[in-house]
Amino acid sequence: MSDSSIDSLRTQFKTDLAAAVGEADLRVVRDRYLARKGGLLSGLLKSLGSSPAAERPRLGQLANQLKQDIETELEARLTAVTSTRRPKGSVDVTLPGRRPPVGHQHPLAILRERIEQIFTRMGFLVIEGPELEDDYHNFEALNMPAEHPARDMQDTLYLASPVRSSAGNPATLLRTHTSGMQIRYMEQHAPPVRLIAPGRVYRRDNLDLTHTPMFTQVEGLVVGEHVTLADLKGTLDIFVKELFGQDRRVRFRPSFFPYTEPSAEVDISCAACAGAGCSMCKRTGWIEILGSGMVHPAVFEAVGYDSEKYTGFAFGMGIERVALLKWGVEDIRLFYENDLRFLEQFPL
Amino acid sequence: MNIVHEWLSELVDVPADTDTVAREISLRGFEVAAVEGGVIDFEITANRPDCLSHLGIAREASAIWRKSLKRTSAELPHGDAVPVTIEDPQLCPRYAATVFDVRVGPSPEWLARRLEAAGVRSINNIVDITNYVMLELGQPMHAFDLQRLQGGRLVIRRARPGERLRTLDGLDRALDPEMLVIADADCPVAIGGVMGGHDSEIGSSTTTMVLESAYFQPASIRRTSRRLNLKTEASTRFERGGDIEAPLAGLGRAAQLIEQVGAGKARSTIDVYPVRREPLRLTLRAPRIARVLGVRVPAEDVDRILTALEFTATREGESWTVVVPTFRPDVLREVDLIEEVGRHYGFDRLPTTFPVLAQAQREPDARIERDRGIRQLLTAAGFFESMTFAFIEREAATPFCEPGSSPAAIANPLSEKFAVLRPSLLPGLVDSCAHNRRRGLKDVRLFEIGSRFTASGEGRATGLVWAGAGDSAHWSAGSRTVDFFDVKGAVELLCSAFEVPGPEFAPAEIAYLVGGRSATVTSEGRTVAVLGQLLPVIAEARGLPGAEDVYVAEIDTDALVAATQRELRAHPLPKYPSIVRDISILVDEALPAASVRGTIRSAAPELLQSIVEFDRYQGKGIPEGRTSLSLRLTFRSPERTLTDDEAEAAMDTIVAALEREHGAQRR
Repeated sequence: MSDSSIDSLRTQFKTDLAAAVGEADLRVVRDRYLARKGGLLSGLLKSLGSSPAAERPRLGQLANQLKQDIETELEARLTAVTSTRRPKGSVDVTLPGRRPPVGHQHPLAILRERIEQIFTRMGFLVIEGPELEDDYHNFEALNMPAEHPARDMQDTLYLASPVRSSAGNPATLLRTHTSGMQIRYMEQHAPPVRLIAPGRVYRRDNLDLTHTPMFTQVEGLVVGEHVTLADLKGTLDIFVKELFGQDRRVRFRPSFFPYTEPSAEVDISCAACAGAGCSMCKRTGWIEILGSGMVHPAVFEAVGYDSEKYTGFAFGMGIERVALLKWGVEDIRLFYENDLRFLEQFPL
Repeated sequence: MNIVHEWLSELVDVPADTDTVAREISLRGFEVAAVEGGVIDFEITANRPDCLSHLGIAREASAIWRKSLKRTSAELPHGDAVPVTIEDPQLCPRYAATVFDVRVGPSPEWLARRLEAAGVRSINNIVDITNYVMLELGQPMHAFDLQRLQGGRLVIRRARPGERLRTLDGLDRALDPEMLVIADADCPVAIGGVMGGHDSEIGSSTTTMVLESAYFQPASIRRTSRRLNLKTEASTRFERGGDIEAPLAGLGRAAQLIEQVGAGKARSTIDVYPVRREPLRLTLRAPRIARVLGVRVPAEDVDRILTALEFTATREGESWTVVVPTFRPDVLREVDLIEEVGRHYGFDRLPTTFPVLAQAQREPDARIERDRGIRQLLTAAGFFESMTFAFIEREAATPFCEPGSSPAAIANPLSEKFAVLRPSLLPGLVDSCAHNRRRGLKDVRLFEIGSRFTASGEGRATGLVWAGAGDSAHWSAGSRTVDFFDVKGAVELLCSAFEVPGPEFAPAEIAYLVGGRSATVTSEGRTVAVLGQLLPVIAEARGLPGAEDVYVAEIDTDALVAATQRELRAHPLPKYPSIVRDISILVDEALPAASVRGTIRSAAPELLQSIVEFDRYQGKGIPEGRTSLSLRLTFRSPERTLTDDEAEAAMDTIVAALEREHGAQRR
């Protein structure tokens, strides 16, 4: 026995231990080094007698130390291996599970519901109405008599011959907004009114990145004895911040709609540039999101409301446009192609 | 409308920075489309024809920066050089004209350049000046060559049946008596307020010109313009409402410019204005302003704003008497004045408040809750929600129409692809399925909740389409292809969720479905759904591989709503155990399982709780034309524990009935 033979045995053990993979390998290593008969360590200890007497105590101590180390390391490895041993009938838990097939809601449905929730929380009723309309409910009752230039603002799709709408009336056109439903509601109910009317609307717009001839609108109407433009501002401020984030700023800009007076467009501060101006917001820092205004007295008169006693506000927005902004969708047509790879990006 | 910053500055003092001018004006209701090279392109809303001019925008600027307008005017020589007769003062309430001696030639450079900045091409000095005056004051004008007017006179009348006119654009146009024309002694020389005639146009040889400056009834101009499909700068202004007091101002400014550029000199002016219009007077109440805007605007601000916009406002206590200028056809009632005050007071200065909620809300529309329920069920069943257009190609729609009906057509469709209203949700869903298939996505389950337009009119439906795998693929087993019972399961799920009473599935011949693999579902005599395999020829025509089965279903959603209006009562759980008996019988392969079930039901005592088919087998060991059907029957009494003997007795009766009714053999 010599220092070098002890060292070389230690090195050899380290190599063997590292090469051992499973429990069986480790047991082979243990037998190889620690077996009473023929084990490498007992062989080493036997050769102690051939060492010089003066060296024996020191070398003996070193050899015992090596034995102890081997025992400890082997024990540690064996414990580690046996503790992860798979019980009978065990499965590979990393394989994919058998998932119940689950579909996704359409992003426009998700957004519509989100918008409905926000307004419901503010005390709004949600109503639905026919998609086919007559001229009276789509235009005339909304202060847009025949020959009114504002009719050009909404290029209308007409039916070749009248079709019975879901409200039972002979319809001549595809509604250009859901406002007709508000007229129907006011015809049937006295104030106060606080409602939103979501639904599909139709305009003669060619398909492109930002237009579809059919889109989803949410319009709102509030009527009462003390409803003001300041109330409109307050309501839409809450809505926009809940939908887009509390850090967004909201701006009201005068505009024109035949059925509201005064009328206002509502802009939100651009998220892409935080209001500094970029290509997304045409360098203005603002993005238009809603049309709104105080209900024109002529509309109240058409439904038999006292336009002196009652005031009200109305607003409308296209959900697709909101979706484009909120989710960064670059092409509005994706909403109507129903590509599964698009649809599955939205939450379950 | 292109507003040239430099031109605007000649009418009112505005800041030197074009972007500032654009931004401030945009906040008063004039959206900016573009700002480039000292020119601002404003989008002028239909209610503000006065702002289709530099003067109109200058007036807004005057209210914003509190500067007064700088206007120039010129005296016009009067006298009746050209006889003018208005035969229809309804359509033309005022017609003025000035006769000029002219030398037609090129415009001076400043004039040509300024017009070009505003986006108008320079033609000659006279035409350019009429355009200049229109862009500056908003008054359209038209120049005739006096020598080319038969009889040297003008008659403002409706067109006579059969009359035609070759307009300036070279087109020969048919006129009708709904249209107002300017005629000479013989025939029309212009379509009033829309476009002049080719033959009376001024040119280099013109020495005497009649310059028209009139006011036309807006609705008539709009009708004529639409009927002729002819929109011009003039018609756009007149149809939105011109200024009845502007014709002379326009002529005066034109005379001034013509003289200034050396193009000629005014000789005489005629102004035919048979019924003088009184300007509109309105009352504006301070409390009403607060009621609409939600804030009390100080009286001095109201005075200042209205005056700057050239309204005449006289305050008495809490209200004003306001005279509306004739160039503001949009201001018709008090609320329009309130808007003017609000616009220039600034919407940003209004407070933000919340409308008072005075009473609880009415009950919501049941259909919304129903659609939400359908959406949740079908997504939980693995279907992706889709949205497709309500108008489709005629040939895609036709197979889905009820027999003997055709799809409702759109009178002015965008294209053939959007020609008719969909009679069913299925064609759109099939197309979406094909879209996915073309992109390599084979396993497709889609649904849509929406409107369809059948022979009976607009209704609501839910459509399903299922292609590819019938179950979800997993490493532990193979996958199978969708079949009839997959899509039937989805329909059954909806029927039971909405408690459709006793839905009955019956084989049906449906034009777009494969015979023998299609069914209708009826409940209390009403068809609530249709389902089955889509005809491969239709699938192929829409871009799907014809060899791959596609299953579809369409549920009449309107039928689902009525079914859910019941009061819920909970049942106690059974107190006694049940007895289960399995039975296998051989029956004719054409015998519907529903008949077997019916026979068992009528033969069995009330103790029979349920019948479940658990196997159907044909092949080895089964005679040709027969099938083996296995059913599990569960018996239970609410009052006691059943004995085996009771169950056996029931089974004997059932087997006897099956043998008698269907020639069934027990296996």
